[in-house]
Amino acid sequence: MKKQLTLFASAAILSFTAGAQQVTFEEYDLDNGLHVILHQDNTAPVVTTSVMYHVGAKDEDPERTGFAHFFEHLLFEGTENIERGEWFKIVTANGGSNNANTTDDRTYYFEVFPSNNLELGLWMESERMLHPIINQIGVDTQNEVVKEEKRLRVDNQPYGNILAEVKKNIFKKHPYRWATIGSLDHLDAATLDEFLAFNKKFYVPNNAVLVVAGDIDIAKTKKMVKDYFGPIPRGKEVTRNFPKEDPITSQYEAKAYDPNIQIPAIIACYRTPSFKTRDARVLDMISSYLSQGNSSKLYKKIVDEKKMALAVQAVNLSQEDYGVYALFALPLGSNSLKDILKEMDDEIVKIQTELISEKDYQKLQNQFENQFVNSNSSISGIANSLARYHMLYGDTNLINSEIDIYRSITREDIKEVANKYLKPNQRLLLEYLPKEKTEK
Amino acid sequence: MKKIIFSLLLISAFTLNAQVDRSKQPKPGPAPEINLGTPKTFELGNGLKVLVVENHKLPRVSYSLTIDNPPIAEGDKAGVAALTGSMIGKGSKNIEKDAFNEEVDYLGAFINFGSGGAFAGSLSKYGDRVLELMADAAINPNFTQEEFDKEKAILLDNLKSGEKSVPAVAGRVRNVLAYGKNHPKGEFTTKETVNNVNLQDVKDFYRNYFVPANAYLVVIGDVDFDHVQEQVKKNFSSWTKAVPPSYSYSKPSNAQYTQINFVDMPNAVQSEVAVQNIINLEMKDEDYFPALIANKILGGGAEARLFLNLREDKGYTYGAYSGIGTDKNAPSTFRATASVRNMVTDSAVVAFLDEINRIGVEPVSDEDLRNAKAKYVGDFVLALERPQTIASYALNIETEGLPKDFYKNYLSNINAVTKEDVQRAAKKYFQINNARIVVVGKGKEVLENLEKVKFNGKKIPVMYYDKYGAKAEKPNYEAALPADVSAKSVIQKYITAVGGESKLKAVNSVFITAEASTQGLVLNLELKTTSSNKFAMDMKMAGNSLVKQVYDGEKGYVVQQGQRQDLSGEQLGDLKEQSVPFPELNYLNDANVTLEGVEDVEGKKAYAIKVTDKRTSYYDVETGLKVKDVTKIEQAGQSFEQAVLYGDYKEVGGIQFPFILSQSFGPQKVEFKVKNIKVNEGVSDEDFN
Repeated sequence: MKKQLTLFASAAILSFTAGAQQVTFEEYDLDNGLHVILHQDNTAPVVTTSVMYHVGAKDEDPERTGFAHFFEHLLFEGTENIERGEWFKIVTANGGSNNANTTDDRTYYFEVFPSNNLELGLWMESERMLHPIINQIGVDTQNEVVKEEKRLRVDNQPYGNILAEVKKNIFKKHPYRWATIGSLDHLDAATLDEFLAFNKKFYVPNNAVLVVAGDIDIAKTKKMVKDYFGPIPRGKEVTRNFPKEDPITSQYEAKAYDPNIQIPAIIACYRTPSFKTRDARVLDMISSYLSQGNSSKLYKKIVDEKKMALAVQAVNLSQEDYGVYALFALPLGSNSLKDILKEMDDEIVKIQTELISEKDYQKLQNQFENQFVNSNSSISGIANSLARYHMLYGDTNLINSEIDIYRSITREDIKEVANKYLKPNQRLLLEYLPKEKTEK
Repeated sequence: MKKIIFSLLLISAFTLNAQVDRSKQPKPGPAPEINLGTPKTFELGNGLKVLVVENHKLPRVSYSLTIDNPPIAEGDKAGVAALTGSMIGKGSKNIEKDAFNEEVDYLGAFINFGSGGAFAGSLSKYGDRVLELMADAAINPNFTQEEFDKEKAILLDNLKSGEKSVPAVAGRVRNVLAYGKNHPKGEFTTKETVNNVNLQDVKDFYRNYFVPANAYLVVIGDVDFDHVQEQVKKNFSSWTKAVPPSYSYSKPSNAQYTQINFVDMPNAVQSEVAVQNIINLEMKDEDYFPALIANKILGGGAEARLFLNLREDKGYTYGAYSGIGTDKNAPSTFRATASVRNMVTDSAVVAFLDEINRIGVEPVSDEDLRNAKAKYVGDFVLALERPQTIASYALNIETEGLPKDFYKNYLSNINAVTKEDVQRAAKKYFQINNARIVVVGKGKEVLENLEKVKFNGKKIPVMYYDKYGAKAEKPNYEAALPADVSAKSVIQKYITAVGGESKLKAVNSVFITAEASTQGLVLNLELKTTSSNKFAMDMKMAGNSLVKQVYDGEKGYVVQQGQRQDLSGEQLGDLKEQSVPFPELNYLNDANVTLEGVEDVEGKKAYAIKVTDKRTSYYDVETGLKVKDVTKIEQAGQSFEQAVLYGDYKEVGGIQFPFILSQSFGPQKVEFKVKNIKVNEGVSDEDFN
């Protein structure tokens, strides 16, 4: 009898430990349309206040690219109640840290504070949403900053323009075709009125999600959220109607030149569906299988064993409307771009014709599970995931359930998806070459 | 039910009445409480205590095994602990090393070991297997001669690379002077002590000290207490019960009066300065929080006084900090430290003493106190997110004899510290009248002024120590040089040794190709110089240029990883002076070129010739050949030294050229072997475009 009891107990434990991750959250809308997500975790007295706005580079006027990223800078310039230059001082004097970032799909602002400064964080974000100061001084200052950032991070960076070249060549109609940082000429030509209009159109509560995560009291937090964000007027509804891309039926070929490099790069890119789809997640797995870590297939073969390449990488750049699956390599010594491409293609053909081994499959599952779990190990990471899953995927609970999708992916799925998206006639072949050579 | 309605009413009433005044920045609420969760505990028969913190938020688990032994004196076998630590975890008696590592990878887990414990983490579903692997490797280590030899070689290599490191010497001497060299916290590892260790010593050390009597296993994460108990019993019960041998040590004491303890290191480009005294402080002491805050204000970060004074205001250093330690078994230290420029060593010492003195005699300002607390709270709080932090806190409560609610009240205790508390703690723990000011630096450049340092009107005595903290004589810089040697005679001897002035003057260009391999990669070097001050250097890897430097006699540029930068000012001058095949021809009549003394270069005596403030060249006393060039590089307030060693001289066209060029930058060293040298051929003006 006793033995049976322990058996029963250990069975219960098994099912318990295999259970799902439990990031609990509560979500609701304010009257002005602001979506609010609260995540309470009192383990550590840390609170993250963050706002994600559904505006990114793809929302820009094709003649005014770079606006979304520009705003990420502009909106630290001050508000009606926070003087210019004070933003960062307030954050450090209260034991906090803050930052912001922009993609093609959204712009994200956040502060991390000890939890007794929750009200301060809410006040700051509500100030930014309600009445930021947008004037010529701020525009001129940030214009210089952004120029410097572009020089530093893109123009002077070896291979810094690859992504821009890939986007330009693989997207013909959709606004993913321009770089997130945009055009400095467009920014120079922009008038103050245009900046004000952009703010009015996109920086409105009904186009945003507020996340408060960490050591909070739900009832008190709700009240504070209402106090600070409730009075912000609703804006006009934001509608998006982006043109759809025609399928690629024969291989695109392109060349680009970079004065900062000496070793050419070959990039094979495939256009893939939105990150909301299951197929995009299968492609994530394929990308890890091929190039994550020193025991991955491409790395082991091309870099480690054959020593044909200095580096090789497979990346699945997933976005809201489309993704790009890119295989990237830098040849070593006398190996040509063509030689490398052949090696990469051979591996893809293998995935298309054979199932990956059971052991590799299980290792892949372990890797994904680890990544997934660790991406939720900090409160600020959780806040970002909650905002993203709500705004871009339309399902906040993916923070807990997305791993189930990955778990459900089979070896057969991997083979099938590789066949569906990774055909040579569906791709862009980009040769990214040193600039000097072409001039001579 | 009634209560609920009431509170609902209360909330809605609140929202109606309360209008926030958004024109005012909200004030922080009361300091948050820390809810770490109380660990559940149990103990095995062998003495292992286990703390379990269940946290089901994420499906992962971490295990940390800590053996809380009192400090261990390793004596003439110092290094045995480090060797034991690095040999645990190389598989076990039951599983091969490779199979062990592969399985850990496959599970996506990690397991690390040391001589005092282990730390592991994984997804909770693999938690049992990871615990099993960790326990097996910890309890059944496979100590083999092969692994021992490998780890010993690595340890000796590390010691060797630290031999000339000024910070490494400073670290060692500080501890020797604070605790005494026979105290476990003062002893140090050398080549000799490592060579005294054999495999049996490692086995003995393991058997004596890697024992469960003082051991704690902290389990945090998505686990069930009963299940953990079962698994720990299964895996750790075979760990043999034992208590480590106990020792008693002499009790270190502070200096009787404040003094400078100087260690001469001729290769120092910066002085390592530490103002230190030993203290007796435990976490459970009443003074703990005041002492923390006092240190935070004095030197606890980039907002603290030392940093603001020595870096921001005076620019003596890249950073100046202070730290205060706690230890339940032995004394610990208060220490304020910085690496400062040679020229300002004495001024930096004075600045340190001023700040340490000030915080003891003047109450801190309200703002200082407020900002220190805010920063403390912020740092403390943000660190709490890491499971390691939580594990170490749970452990501290057990091992440091702290009340159970110690961390729960941590922030309110921080916030309760007053100005008076800060001053009292500063006086008590920062002992301005019994401090050792340990300075490790280049005596020739810093001693003269250091001996003049006064504090509170009194001269501070200077005492001398060697690199191991033993008393030494005051260095004498005069005696080493024979009277008949001058800079000119050294240069002349070199010129004669390599082939004579007329041969050197006939050289219009030199073209050197050399090759080195580092970390499995081959580097190719091409160097071209001409007598008309032109210079070109190209370093390539696998046919691709890594660094290229060109100087055409007037203009110069560098291309690094594809980025071109034109040189100007100082950089250009530096290049110009080196852009001839034999710069020594110009040194002969240069009054700024001076003989500095005799120094050791790779075990041989060499004359040090200072060419400029930035560059010193060394010439072998016996052969006259150039053996080393040292260039000082300043970057972002830090000084670095870059050295090139020359060796294996061979004749080309009647002139002796070095065929080995080894370049070092910090601890890294790359040895180039010359493949080919062409004199007066293979170089054209186009090479310098």
